[in-house]
Amino acid sequence: MSRMAVETLDNESTIVNMGPQHPSTHGVINLRLQLKGEVIEAVDPNVGFLHRSIEKIAELTQYTGFIPYTDRIDYLGAMFGNMGYCMAVEKLLGVEVPRRAQYMRVIACELNRIINHLIACGTMSMDLGAFTPFLHGIREREKVNDMMEKICGARLNYNYMRFGGVSLDYMPGLDKEILAFLDRFERFLPEFNRLITGNEIFVQRLLHVGVIPKETAIHYGLGGPNLRASGVDFDVRRDYPYSVYPEFSFDVVTGGHYPGECGDSYARYMVRIDEMRQSARLVRQAVEGLPEGEYLAKVARNPVPPKGEVYSKVESVRGEMGFYLVSDGTDKPYRLKVRTSSFCAMSVMPEIGPGLMVADMTAFFGSLDVVAPEVDR
Amino acid sequence: MLKQYFKNIKNASTSIFEGLAVTLSYMVRKPITIQYPDRIEKPLPEMLPPTFRGILEVDTGICTVCMACMKRCPLDTIYIESERDPETRKNYLTRFDIDVARCMVCGLCTEVCPTGAIRHSTEFDAVTSDVINLVMRYVQPGDKIPAYKVSKEEEPPGVPQNEPYCRLKKQWDAPAPLQPDEVRGAVRWKKQTSKQEGR
Repeated sequence: MSRMAVETLDNESTIVNMGPQHPSTHGVINLRLQLKGEVIEAVDPNVGFLHRSIEKIAELTQYTGFIPYTDRIDYLGAMFGNMGYCMAVEKLLGVEVPRRAQYMRVIACELNRIINHLIACGTMSMDLGAFTPFLHGIREREKVNDMMEKICGARLNYNYMRFGGVSLDYMPGLDKEILAFLDRFERFLPEFNRLITGNEIFVQRLLHVGVIPKETAIHYGLGGPNLRASGVDFDVRRDYPYSVYPEFSFDVVTGGHYPGECGDSYARYMVRIDEMRQSARLVRQAVEGLPEGEYLAKVARNPVPPKGEVYSKVESVRGEMGFYLVSDGTDKPYRLKVRTSSFCAMSVMPEIGPGLMVADMTAFFGSLDVVAPEVDR
Repeated sequence: MLKQYFKNIKNASTSIFEGLAVTLSYMVRKPITIQYPDRIEKPLPEMLPPTFRGILEVDTGICTVCMACMKRCPLDTIYIESERDPETRKNYLTRFDIDVARCMVCGLCTEVCPTGAIRHSTEFDAVTSDVINLVMRYVQPGDKIPAYKVSKEEEPPGVPQNEPYCRLKKQWDAPAPLQPDEVRGAVRWKKQTSKQEGR
Protein backbone atom coordinates (compact mmCIF):
# COMPACT_ATOMS: atom_id res chain seq x y z
CA MET A 1 0.00 0.00 0.00
CA SER A 2 1.31 3.34 -0.95
CA ARG A 3 2.38 6.01 1.45
CA MET A 4 2.39 8.72 -1.20
CA ALA A 5 -0.32 10.70 0.51
CA VAL A 6 2.06 12.24 3.03
CA GLU A 7 5.21 12.58 0.95
CA THR A 8 3.77 14.41 -2.02
CA LEU A 9 1.89 16.96 -0.01
CA ASP A 10 1.77 20.25 -1.86
CA ASN A 11 0.14 23.40 -0.65
CA GLU A 12 -3.00 22.97 -2.67
CA SER A 13 -4.16 19.63 -1.39
CA THR A 14 -5.37 18.72 2.07
CA ILE A 15 -5.05 15.47 3.92
CA VAL A 16 -8.16 14.38 5.75
CA ASN A 17 -8.51 11.40 8.03
CA MET A 18 -11.72 9.51 7.36
CA GLY A 19 -12.16 7.27 10.33
CA PRO A 20 -11.28 5.38 12.48
CA GLN A 21 -14.47 6.69 14.08
CA HIS A 22 -16.28 7.79 10.94
CA PRO A 23 -19.85 6.49 10.91
CA SER A 24 -19.52 5.05 7.42
CA THR A 25 -16.37 3.07 8.19
CA HIS A 26 -18.07 0.25 10.06
CA GLY A 27 -15.61 -1.00 12.53
CA VAL A 28 -12.36 0.86 12.86
CA ILE A 29 -10.77 1.60 9.52
CA ASN A 30 -8.80 4.73 8.80
CA LEU A 31 -8.77 6.11 5.26
CA ARG A 32 -6.36 8.97 4.69
CA LEU A 33 -7.66 11.04 1.83
CA GLN A 34 -5.65 13.57 -0.11
CA LEU A 35 -8.19 16.10 -1.28
CA LYS A 36 -8.15 18.87 -3.79
CA GLY A 37 -11.32 20.73 -3.03
CA GLU A 38 -13.81 17.96 -2.77
CA VAL A 39 -12.16 15.62 -5.24
CA ILE A 40 -10.02 12.82 -3.93
CA GLU A 41 -6.50 12.68 -5.31
CA ALA A 42 -5.19 9.75 -3.36
CA VAL A 43 -6.51 7.23 -0.87
CA ASP A 44 -4.36 5.52 1.70
CA PRO A 45 -6.20 2.81 3.65
CA ASN A 46 -4.61 2.45 7.04
CA VAL A 47 -5.50 -0.97 8.37
CA GLY A 48 -4.48 -2.82 11.51
CA PHE A 49 -6.65 -1.27 14.22
CA LEU A 50 -8.37 -4.59 14.86
CA HIS A 51 -5.45 -6.93 14.54
CA ARG A 52 -5.85 -9.72 17.08
CA SER A 53 -3.24 -12.13 15.70
CA ILE A 54 -5.79 -14.88 15.17
CA GLU A 55 -3.28 -16.86 13.13
CA LYS A 56 -0.85 -16.90 16.05
CA ILE A 57 -3.57 -17.88 18.50
CA ALA A 58 -4.28 -20.88 16.28
CA GLU A 59 -0.74 -22.12 16.83
CA LEU A 60 -1.21 -21.99 20.60
CA THR A 61 -4.67 -23.56 20.82
CA GLN A 62 -5.77 -27.12 20.30
CA TYR A 63 -7.66 -27.89 17.11
CA THR A 64 -11.11 -27.96 18.70
CA GLY A 65 -10.40 -24.95 20.86
CA PHE A 66 -9.80 -22.77 17.82
CA ILE A 67 -13.31 -23.19 16.37
CA PRO A 68 -14.80 -20.34 18.47
CA TYR A 69 -11.99 -18.07 17.30
CA THR A 70 -12.98 -18.58 13.65
CA ASP A 71 -16.25 -16.82 14.49
CA ARG A 72 -14.27 -13.72 15.27
CA ILE A 73 -12.53 -13.50 11.91
CA ASP A 74 -15.66 -12.20 10.24
CA TYR A 75 -18.34 -11.60 12.80
CA LEU A 76 -21.13 -11.04 10.27
CA GLY A 77 -20.32 -14.25 8.45
CA ALA A 78 -19.23 -16.40 11.37
CA MET A 79 -20.64 -19.57 9.88
CA PHE A 80 -18.20 -19.45 6.98
CA GLY A 81 -15.18 -19.22 9.24
CA ASN A 82 -16.47 -22.29 11.07
CA MET A 83 -17.12 -24.07 7.80
CA GLY A 84 -13.74 -23.36 6.21
CA TYR A 85 -11.74 -24.29 9.28
CA CYS A 86 -13.71 -27.46 9.99
CA MET A 87 -13.40 -28.51 6.34
CA ALA A 88 -9.63 -28.03 6.51
CA VAL A 89 -9.26 -30.14 9.65
CA GLU A 90 -11.66 -32.78 8.33
CA LYS A 91 -9.55 -33.05 5.20
CA LEU A 92 -6.47 -33.63 7.35
CA LEU A 93 -8.23 -36.16 9.57
CA GLY A 94 -10.01 -37.86 6.69
CA VAL A 95 -13.38 -37.60 8.39
CA GLU A 96 -16.55 -38.24 6.43
CA VAL A 97 -19.32 -35.81 7.37
CA PRO A 98 -22.82 -37.34 7.53
CA ARG A 99 -25.27 -36.16 4.91
CA ARG A 100 -27.68 -34.66 7.41
CA ALA A 101 -24.86 -32.59 8.88
CA GLN A 102 -23.88 -31.41 5.41
CA TYR A 103 -27.43 -30.23 4.76
CA MET A 104 -27.60 -28.53 8.14
CA ARG A 105 -24.34 -26.75 7.39
CA VAL A 106 -25.64 -25.50 4.06
CA ILE A 107 -28.84 -24.22 5.67
CA ALA A 108 -26.89 -22.40 8.38
CA CYS A 109 -24.43 -20.90 5.89
CA GLU A 110 -27.09 -19.62 3.53
CA LEU A 111 -29.15 -18.15 6.38
CA ASN A 112 -25.95 -16.42 7.45
CA ARG A 113 -25.53 -15.05 3.93
CA ILE A 114 -29.05 -13.60 4.08
CA ILE A 115 -28.23 -11.97 7.43
CA ASN A 116 -25.06 -10.43 6.11
CA HIS A 117 -26.53 -9.10 2.88
CA LEU A 118 -29.45 -7.56 4.77
CA ILE A 119 -26.95 -5.72 6.95
CA ALA A 120 -24.78 -4.80 3.97
CA CYS A 121 -27.67 -3.31 1.99
CA GLY A 122 -29.09 -1.65 5.08
CA THR A 123 -25.88 0.00 6.21
CA MET A 124 -25.09 1.04 2.67
CA SER A 125 -28.37 2.94 2.43
CA MET A 126 -27.66 4.37 5.87
CA ASP A 127 -24.30 5.67 4.65
CA LEU A 128 -26.15 7.43 1.86
CA GLY A 129 -28.53 9.07 4.31
CA ALA A 130 -31.53 6.73 4.21
CA PHE A 131 -32.11 5.42 7.70
CA THR A 132 -35.45 3.62 7.29
CA PRO A 133 -34.26 0.78 5.00
CA PHE A 134 -31.60 -0.04 7.57
CA LEU A 135 -34.28 -0.58 10.21
CA HIS A 136 -36.29 -2.74 7.84
CA GLY A 137 -33.21 -4.84 7.16
CA ILE A 138 -32.42 -5.13 10.85
CA ARG A 139 -35.99 -6.16 11.61
CA GLU A 140 -35.85 -8.97 9.10
CA ARG A 141 -32.41 -9.98 10.34
CA GLU A 142 -33.81 -10.27 13.83
CA LYS A 143 -36.14 -13.03 12.62
CA VAL A 144 -33.18 -15.01 11.28
CA ASN A 145 -31.23 -14.33 14.45
CA ASP A 146 -34.06 -15.81 16.52
CA MET A 147 -33.87 -18.92 14.37
CA MET A 148 -30.09 -19.01 14.68
CA GLU A 149 -30.57 -19.00 18.44
CA LYS A 150 -32.58 -22.19 18.08
CA ILE A 151 -30.26 -23.71 15.50
CA CYS A 152 -26.96 -23.15 17.27
CA GLY A 153 -27.56 -21.27 20.52
CA ALA A 154 -26.09 -17.88 19.70
CA ARG A 155 -27.01 -14.86 17.68
CA LEU A 156 -23.68 -13.64 16.36
CA ASN A 157 -20.73 -15.85 17.24
CA TYR A 158 -22.32 -19.13 16.34
CA ASN A 159 -19.59 -21.72 17.02
CA TYR A 160 -21.93 -24.22 15.35
CA MET A 161 -19.72 -26.60 13.44
CA ARG A 162 -17.55 -29.36 14.79
CA PHE A 163 -15.16 -31.74 13.11
CA GLY A 164 -17.47 -34.22 11.48
CA GLY A 165 -20.75 -32.37 11.72
CA VAL A 166 -22.54 -29.74 13.76
CA SER A 167 -22.94 -29.21 17.49
CA LEU A 168 -26.72 -29.46 17.86
CA ASP A 169 -29.57 -31.30 16.21
CA TYR A 170 -32.67 -29.38 15.22
CA MET A 171 -35.34 -28.70 17.79
CA PRO A 172 -38.67 -30.24 16.80
CA GLY A 173 -40.55 -28.02 14.37
CA LEU A 174 -37.58 -25.88 13.43
CA ASP A 175 -37.64 -26.83 9.75
CA LYS A 176 -41.23 -25.62 9.49
CA GLU A 177 -40.20 -22.37 11.12
CA ILE A 178 -37.43 -21.88 8.58
CA LEU A 179 -39.85 -22.49 5.71
CA ALA A 180 -42.30 -20.01 7.21
CA PHE A 181 -39.54 -17.44 7.37
CA LEU A 182 -38.64 -18.04 3.73
CA ASP A 183 -42.25 -17.40 2.69
CA ARG A 184 -42.17 -14.17 4.63
CA PHE A 185 -38.79 -13.25 3.21
CA GLU A 186 -40.04 -13.62 -0.35
CA ARG A 187 -42.66 -10.98 0.39
CA PHE A 188 -40.13 -8.79 2.17
CA LEU A 189 -37.65 -8.41 -0.69
CA PRO A 190 -40.05 -6.70 -3.18
CA GLU A 191 -41.10 -4.39 -0.37
CA PHE A 192 -37.47 -3.55 0.39
CA ASN A 193 -36.93 -2.87 -3.31
CA ARG A 194 -39.93 -0.53 -3.39
CA LEU A 195 -38.59 1.21 -0.32
CA ILE A 196 -35.05 1.93 -1.45
CA THR A 197 -33.76 0.05 -4.48
CA GLY A 198 -36.09 1.82 -6.89
CA ASN A 199 -35.56 5.19 -5.26
CA GLU A 200 -34.24 7.54 -7.94
CA ILE A 201 -32.04 9.56 -5.57
CA PHE A 202 -30.46 6.40 -4.21
CA VAL A 203 -29.88 5.01 -7.70
CA GLN A 204 -28.33 8.22 -9.00
CA ARG A 205 -25.86 8.29 -6.11
CA LEU A 206 -24.62 4.82 -7.05
CA LEU A 207 -24.67 4.68 -10.84
CA HIS A 208 -21.20 4.97 -12.45
CA VAL A 209 -19.59 5.50 -9.02
CA GLY A 210 -16.42 3.57 -8.20
CA VAL A 211 -16.35 1.43 -11.30
CA ILE A 212 -14.02 -1.56 -10.87
CA PRO A 213 -13.12 -2.95 -14.31
CA LYS A 214 -13.05 -6.69 -14.80
CA GLU A 215 -9.23 -6.89 -15.08
CA THR A 216 -8.65 -4.79 -11.95
CA ALA A 217 -11.05 -6.95 -9.97
CA ILE A 218 -9.18 -10.09 -10.99
CA HIS A 219 -5.73 -8.57 -10.42
CA TYR A 220 -6.58 -7.41 -6.92
CA GLY A 221 -8.10 -10.76 -6.04
CA LEU A 222 -11.54 -9.44 -5.14
CA GLY A 223 -14.12 -12.00 -4.22
CA GLY A 224 -17.78 -12.62 -3.82
CA PRO A 225 -20.33 -10.00 -4.83
CA ASN A 226 -17.61 -7.43 -5.54
CA LEU A 227 -16.00 -9.69 -8.11
CA ARG A 228 -19.23 -10.88 -9.66
CA ALA A 229 -20.56 -7.34 -10.00
CA SER A 230 -17.55 -6.63 -12.22
CA GLY A 231 -18.77 -9.26 -14.61
CA VAL A 232 -16.57 -12.18 -13.55
CA ASP A 233 -18.61 -15.34 -13.42
CA PHE A 234 -16.92 -17.02 -10.48
CA ASP A 235 -18.37 -18.69 -7.43
CA VAL A 236 -16.49 -21.18 -5.27
CA ARG A 237 -19.75 -22.97 -4.53
CA ARG A 238 -20.14 -23.82 -8.21
CA ASP A 239 -16.60 -23.85 -9.59
CA TYR A 240 -14.85 -25.66 -6.75
CA PRO A 241 -17.80 -27.52 -5.26
CA TYR A 242 -17.65 -28.41 -1.60
CA SER A 243 -20.15 -29.92 0.85
CA VAL A 244 -23.46 -30.77 -0.87
CA TYR A 245 -23.75 -27.65 -3.03
CA PRO A 246 -23.62 -29.63 -6.32
CA GLU A 247 -26.94 -31.23 -5.36
CA PHE A 248 -28.81 -27.93 -5.35
CA SER A 249 -29.72 -25.67 -8.21
CA PHE A 250 -28.87 -22.01 -7.87
CA ASP A 251 -27.75 -19.22 -10.16
CA VAL A 252 -24.52 -17.30 -9.84
CA VAL A 253 -25.54 -13.65 -9.98
CA THR A 254 -23.25 -11.42 -12.02
CA GLY A 255 -23.35 -7.72 -12.81
CA GLY A 256 -23.77 -6.34 -16.28
CA HIS A 257 -27.50 -6.43 -16.82
CA TYR A 258 -28.35 -3.78 -14.24
CA PRO A 259 -28.78 -0.09 -15.02
CA GLY A 260 -25.49 1.75 -15.09
CA GLU A 261 -22.37 -0.12 -16.00
CA CYS A 262 -20.69 -3.35 -15.07
CA GLY A 263 -18.77 -3.04 -11.80
CA ASP A 264 -20.21 0.18 -10.41
CA SER A 265 -21.58 0.55 -6.90
CA TYR A 266 -25.16 -0.05 -8.00
CA ALA A 267 -24.20 -3.36 -9.60
CA ARG A 268 -22.55 -4.47 -6.35
CA TYR A 269 -25.66 -3.51 -4.41
CA MET A 270 -27.97 -5.33 -6.81
CA VAL A 271 -25.83 -8.47 -6.84
CA ARG A 272 -26.31 -8.66 -3.07
CA ILE A 273 -30.07 -8.21 -3.37
CA ASP A 274 -30.29 -10.98 -5.96
CA GLU A 275 -27.96 -13.23 -4.01
CA MET A 276 -30.37 -13.13 -1.09
CA ARG A 277 -33.00 -14.63 -3.40
CA GLN A 278 -30.61 -17.39 -4.43
CA SER A 279 -29.74 -18.08 -0.79
CA ALA A 280 -33.41 -18.34 0.10
CA ARG A 281 -33.80 -20.76 -2.80
CA LEU A 282 -30.90 -22.86 -1.51
CA VAL A 283 -32.25 -22.95 2.04
CA ARG A 284 -35.67 -24.04 0.78
CA GLN A 285 -34.19 -26.89 -1.24
CA ALA A 286 -32.02 -27.99 1.68
CA VAL A 287 -34.82 -27.90 4.26
CA GLU A 288 -37.21 -29.78 2.00
CA GLY A 289 -34.63 -32.45 1.23
CA LEU A 290 -33.19 -32.69 4.75
CA PRO A 291 -32.25 -36.37 5.25
CA GLU A 292 -32.55 -38.27 8.50
CA GLY A 293 -29.52 -39.62 10.26
CA GLU A 294 -26.56 -38.61 12.34
CA TYR A 295 -25.67 -34.97 12.77
CA LEU A 296 -22.18 -35.56 14.14
CA ALA A 297 -19.67 -38.19 13.06
CA LYS A 298 -17.56 -39.92 15.68
CA VAL A 299 -14.35 -37.94 16.00
CA ALA A 300 -11.83 -38.04 18.83
CA ARG A 301 -12.41 -35.46 21.52
CA ASN A 302 -8.96 -33.99 21.02
CA PRO A 303 -8.05 -34.92 17.45
CA VAL A 304 -4.41 -35.19 16.45
CA PRO A 305 -4.15 -35.06 12.64
CA PRO A 306 -1.24 -36.66 10.81
CA LYS A 307 1.57 -34.55 9.38
CA GLY A 308 0.60 -32.68 6.28
CA GLU A 309 -0.79 -29.49 4.87
CA VAL A 310 -4.15 -28.67 3.43
CA TYR A 311 -6.00 -25.74 1.87
CA SER A 312 -9.74 -25.45 2.00
CA LYS A 313 -11.84 -22.63 0.67
CA VAL A 314 -15.45 -21.63 1.00
CA GLU A 315 -17.54 -18.97 -0.66
CA SER A 316 -17.92 -16.61 2.27
CA VAL A 317 -20.28 -13.66 2.20
CA ARG A 318 -17.39 -11.48 1.13
CA GLY A 319 -15.83 -13.89 -1.31
CA GLU A 320 -13.35 -16.67 -1.15
CA MET A 321 -12.27 -17.49 2.40
CA GLY A 322 -9.35 -19.85 2.53
CA PHE A 323 -7.71 -21.74 5.36
CA TYR A 324 -4.20 -23.03 4.80
CA LEU A 325 -3.36 -25.42 7.61
CA VAL A 326 -0.05 -27.11 8.31
CA SER A 327 0.06 -29.92 10.83
CA ASP A 328 3.25 -31.25 12.40
CA GLY A 329 1.58 -34.23 14.00
CA THR A 330 0.84 -32.63 17.38
CA ASP A 331 -2.47 -31.53 18.85
CA LYS A 332 -1.93 -27.91 17.80
CA PRO A 333 -1.63 -26.54 14.26
CA TYR A 334 1.88 -25.68 13.14
CA ARG A 335 0.65 -22.81 11.00
CA LEU A 336 -2.71 -21.47 9.97
CA LYS A 337 -3.09 -18.85 7.27
CA VAL A 338 -6.46 -17.27 6.72
CA ARG A 339 -7.20 -15.70 3.38
CA THR A 340 -10.03 -13.19 3.48
CA SER A 341 -11.56 -11.06 0.79
CA SER A 342 -12.12 -7.91 2.82
CA PHE A 343 -8.39 -7.26 2.73
CA CYS A 344 -8.42 -7.42 -1.07
CA ALA A 345 -11.40 -5.09 -1.16
CA MET A 346 -9.45 -2.61 0.95
CA SER A 347 -6.39 -2.86 -1.26
CA VAL A 348 -8.36 -1.90 -4.36
CA MET A 349 -9.23 1.50 -2.88
CA PRO A 350 -6.02 3.39 -3.84
CA GLU A 351 -6.63 2.25 -7.41
CA ILE A 352 -10.30 3.20 -7.73
CA GLY A 353 -10.57 5.98 -5.15
CA PRO A 354 -8.77 8.88 -6.95
CA GLY A 355 -11.23 11.00 -8.88
CA LEU A 356 -14.19 10.34 -6.64
CA MET A 357 -15.86 12.98 -4.51
CA VAL A 358 -15.85 12.53 -0.73
CA ALA A 359 -19.60 11.86 -0.74
CA ASP A 360 -19.12 9.22 -3.42
CA MET A 361 -16.38 7.67 -1.34
CA THR A 362 -18.91 6.63 1.31
CA ALA A 363 -21.09 5.09 -1.40
CA PHE A 364 -18.12 3.25 -2.88
CA PHE A 365 -16.86 2.11 0.49
CA GLY A 366 -20.32 0.97 1.56
CA SER A 367 -20.77 -0.99 -1.64
CA LEU A 368 -17.53 -2.92 -1.04
CA ASP A 369 -19.04 -4.26 2.21
CA VAL A 370 -15.76 -4.39 4.10
CA VAL A 371 -15.81 -5.74 7.63
CA ALA A 372 -12.92 -4.41 9.67
CA PRO A 373 -12.06 -7.51 11.75
CA GLU A 374 -11.81 -9.54 8.59
CA VAL A 375 -9.30 -7.11 7.12
CA ASP A 376 -6.93 -7.34 10.06
CA ARG A 377 -7.69 -10.74 11.59
CA MET B 1 -33.22 16.91 -23.53
CA LEU B 2 -35.86 18.99 -21.79
CA LYS B 3 -38.17 16.01 -21.87
CA GLN B 4 -35.55 13.88 -20.10
CA TYR B 5 -35.08 16.61 -17.51
CA PHE B 6 -38.76 16.61 -16.55
CA LYS B 7 -38.87 12.84 -16.72
CA ASN B 8 -36.07 12.67 -14.14
CA ILE B 9 -37.95 14.98 -11.81
CA LYS B 10 -41.09 12.90 -12.18
CA ASN B 11 -39.15 9.68 -11.59
CA ALA B 12 -37.54 11.04 -8.46
CA SER B 13 -40.77 12.26 -6.92
CA THR B 14 -42.79 9.14 -7.72
CA SER B 15 -40.10 6.80 -6.40
CA ILE B 16 -39.92 8.79 -3.17
CA PHE B 17 -43.67 8.50 -2.71
CA GLU B 18 -43.42 4.81 -3.44
CA GLY B 19 -41.02 4.44 -0.52
CA LEU B 20 -43.15 6.69 1.68
CA ALA B 21 -46.16 4.50 0.95
CA VAL B 22 -44.29 1.51 2.35
CA THR B 23 -43.35 3.48 5.45
CA LEU B 24 -46.95 4.69 5.80
CA SER B 25 -48.31 1.16 5.59
CA TYR B 26 -46.22 0.29 8.64
CA MET B 27 -47.90 3.06 10.59
CA VAL B 28 -51.17 1.17 10.67
CA ARG B 29 -49.61 -2.22 11.44
CA LYS B 30 -48.93 -3.59 14.88
CA PRO B 31 -45.54 -2.36 16.06
CA ILE B 32 -42.90 -5.04 16.49
CA THR B 33 -40.89 -3.10 19.02
CA ILE B 34 -40.73 -4.77 22.42
CA GLN B 35 -40.42 -2.45 25.37
CA TYR B 36 -37.59 -4.19 27.15
CA PRO B 37 -37.25 -4.77 30.09
CA ASP B 38 -40.31 -3.48 31.93
CA ARG B 39 -43.18 -4.29 29.57
CA ILE B 40 -42.59 -7.91 28.68
CA GLU B 41 -44.84 -10.67 29.94
CA LYS B 42 -42.17 -12.74 31.62
CA PRO B 43 -38.44 -12.34 32.19
CA LEU B 44 -36.41 -12.66 29.04
CA PRO B 45 -34.35 -15.71 30.18
CA GLU B 46 -37.61 -17.68 30.31
CA MET B 47 -38.53 -16.67 26.76
CA LEU B 48 -35.25 -17.77 25.20
CA PRO B 49 -35.03 -21.17 23.51
CA PRO B 50 -33.42 -23.97 25.58
CA THR B 51 -30.56 -24.16 23.10
CA PHE B 52 -29.46 -20.64 24.04
CA ARG B 53 -25.91 -20.41 25.33
CA GLY B 54 -25.96 -18.18 28.37
CA ILE B 55 -23.80 -17.98 31.48
CA LEU B 56 -22.37 -21.31 32.55
CA GLU B 57 -23.82 -23.02 35.58
CA VAL B 58 -22.72 -26.10 37.49
CA ASP B 59 -24.56 -28.78 39.41
CA THR B 60 -21.79 -29.86 41.76
CA GLY B 61 -23.88 -32.82 42.95
CA ILE B 62 -23.37 -34.70 39.68
CA CYS B 63 -19.84 -33.52 38.90
CA THR B 64 -17.47 -36.45 38.43
CA VAL B 65 -14.36 -34.24 38.82
CA CYS B 66 -13.00 -35.54 35.52
CA MET B 67 -11.75 -32.02 34.68
CA ALA B 68 -12.58 -32.50 31.01
CA CYS B 69 -14.18 -29.04 30.87
CA MET B 70 -11.11 -27.41 32.38
CA LYS B 71 -8.83 -29.03 29.81
CA ARG B 72 -11.15 -28.23 26.93
CA CYS B 73 -11.61 -24.52 27.67
CA PRO B 74 -9.52 -22.47 25.22
CA LEU B 75 -9.46 -19.47 27.57
CA ASP B 76 -8.72 -21.10 30.95
CA THR B 77 -12.06 -19.92 32.28
CA ILE B 78 -12.73 -22.89 34.54
CA TYR B 79 -10.65 -23.78 37.55
CA ILE B 80 -11.25 -27.03 39.44
CA GLU B 81 -9.46 -28.47 42.44
CA SER B 82 -10.01 -31.90 43.89
CA GLU B 83 -8.75 -33.78 46.91
CA ARG B 84 -8.35 -37.51 47.43
CA ASP B 85 -8.98 -38.92 50.85
CA PRO B 86 -5.90 -41.09 51.63
CA GLU B 87 -7.89 -43.60 53.72
CA THR B 88 -11.10 -44.16 51.81
CA ARG B 89 -9.57 -43.41 48.37
CA LYS B 90 -12.53 -41.22 47.61
CA ASN B 91 -12.34 -38.11 45.43
CA TYR B 92 -13.71 -34.80 46.65
CA LEU B 93 -14.43 -31.58 44.80
CA THR B 94 -12.97 -28.70 46.74
CA ARG B 95 -13.08 -25.86 44.27
CA PHE B 96 -15.05 -25.05 41.15
CA ASP B 97 -14.63 -21.50 39.86
CA ILE B 98 -15.87 -20.07 36.60
CA ASP B 99 -14.68 -16.65 35.53
CA VAL B 100 -17.78 -15.37 33.70
CA ALA B 101 -15.95 -12.23 32.64
CA ARG B 102 -13.42 -14.30 30.75
CA CYS B 103 -15.87 -16.85 29.30
CA MET B 104 -16.78 -16.46 25.64
CA VAL B 105 -19.77 -18.83 25.87
CA CYS B 106 -18.52 -21.09 23.12
CA GLY B 107 -20.09 -24.18 24.70
CA LEU B 108 -17.16 -26.55 24.21
CA CYS B 109 -17.04 -27.43 27.92
CA THR B 110 -20.68 -28.51 28.05
CA GLU B 111 -20.16 -30.92 25.19
CA VAL B 112 -17.41 -32.90 26.91
CA CYS B 113 -19.18 -33.17 30.27
CA PRO B 114 -20.16 -36.83 30.83
CA THR B 115 -23.08 -36.12 33.17
CA GLY B 116 -24.29 -32.66 32.14
CA ALA B 117 -23.08 -31.12 35.38
CA ILE B 118 -21.80 -28.03 33.60
CA ARG B 119 -24.19 -26.44 31.16
CA HIS B 120 -25.51 -23.15 29.90
CA SER B 121 -28.34 -21.35 31.56
CA THR B 122 -30.44 -18.84 29.66
CA GLU B 123 -29.23 -16.03 31.89
CA PHE B 124 -27.12 -13.52 30.06
CA ASP B 125 -27.08 -10.21 31.92
CA ALA B 126 -24.06 -10.53 34.15
CA VAL B 127 -24.00 -6.97 35.43
CA THR B 128 -21.96 -6.06 38.44
CA SER B 129 -20.08 -3.10 39.78
CA ASP B 130 -16.90 -5.05 40.31
CA VAL B 131 -15.44 -7.54 37.90
CA ILE B 132 -14.28 -9.75 40.77
CA ASN B 133 -17.94 -10.63 41.49
CA LEU B 134 -18.09 -12.31 38.11
CA VAL B 135 -15.97 -15.20 39.33
CA MET B 136 -18.67 -17.72 40.17
CA ARG B 137 -17.79 -20.09 43.00
CA TYR B 138 -19.77 -23.27 42.99
CA VAL B 139 -17.97 -24.78 45.97
CA GLN B 140 -17.61 -22.57 49.00
CA PRO B 141 -14.14 -22.48 50.54
CA GLY B 142 -13.78 -25.31 53.06
CA ASP B 143 -16.56 -27.40 51.55
CA LYS B 144 -15.91 -30.91 50.31
CA ILE B 145 -18.33 -32.41 47.84
CA PRO B 146 -17.92 -36.12 47.07
CA ALA B 147 -17.37 -36.80 43.39
CA TYR B 148 -20.31 -38.31 41.55
CA LYS B 149 -19.73 -41.87 40.38
CA VAL B 150 -21.38 -42.93 37.16
CA SER B 151 -22.69 -46.44 37.73
CA LYS B 152 -23.31 -48.80 34.85
CA GLU B 153 -26.85 -49.83 35.87
CA GLU B 154 -28.14 -46.37 36.38
CA GLU B 155 -28.34 -43.78 33.59
CA PRO B 156 -26.52 -40.53 34.40
CA PRO B 157 -29.01 -37.77 35.21
CA GLY B 158 -27.96 -35.91 32.10
CA VAL B 159 -29.50 -32.78 30.76
CA PRO B 160 -33.23 -32.14 30.71
CA GLN B 161 -33.97 -31.62 27.04
CA ASN B 162 -36.04 -28.80 25.65
CA GLU B 163 -37.17 -27.14 28.82
CA PRO B 164 -36.04 -23.86 30.29
CA TYR B 165 -33.43 -24.49 32.85
CA CYS B 166 -32.31 -21.86 35.29
CA ARG B 167 -30.47 -23.47 38.13
CA LEU B 168 -28.23 -20.45 38.18
CA LYS B 169 -30.98 -18.14 39.34
CA LYS B 170 -30.58 -18.98 42.99
CA GLN B 171 -26.84 -18.49 42.90
CA TRP B 172 -27.06 -15.29 41.01
CA ASP B 173 -29.31 -13.59 43.54
CA ALA B 174 -26.65 -13.73 46.22
CA PRO B 175 -23.19 -13.86 44.69
CA ALA B 176 -20.66 -15.19 47.13
CA PRO B 177 -18.30 -12.54 48.38
CA LEU B 178 -14.85 -13.28 47.11
CA GLN B 179 -11.56 -12.31 48.62
CA PRO B 180 -9.26 -10.56 46.14
CA ASP B 181 -6.38 -12.75 47.31
CA GLU B 182 -8.17 -15.88 46.27
CA VAL B 183 -8.80 -14.54 42.82
CA ARG B 184 -5.18 -13.67 42.49
CA GLY B 185 -4.38 -17.23 43.44
CA ALA B 186 -6.48 -18.45 40.55
CA VAL B 187 -4.73 -16.08 38.19
CA ARG B 188 -1.35 -17.29 39.38
CA TRP B 189 -2.38 -20.83 38.66
CA LYS B 190 -3.33 -19.83 35.16
CA LYS B 191 0.10 -18.40 34.59
CA GLN B 192 1.86 -21.49 35.83
CA THR B 193 0.00 -24.09 33.86
CA SER B 194 -0.79 -21.88 30.88
CA LYS B 195 -1.15 -23.66 27.59
CA GLN B 196 0.54 -20.82 25.87
CA GLU B 197 4.07 -22.05 25.64
CA GLY B 198 6.28 -20.48 23.04
CA ARG B 199 7.08 -22.54 20.04
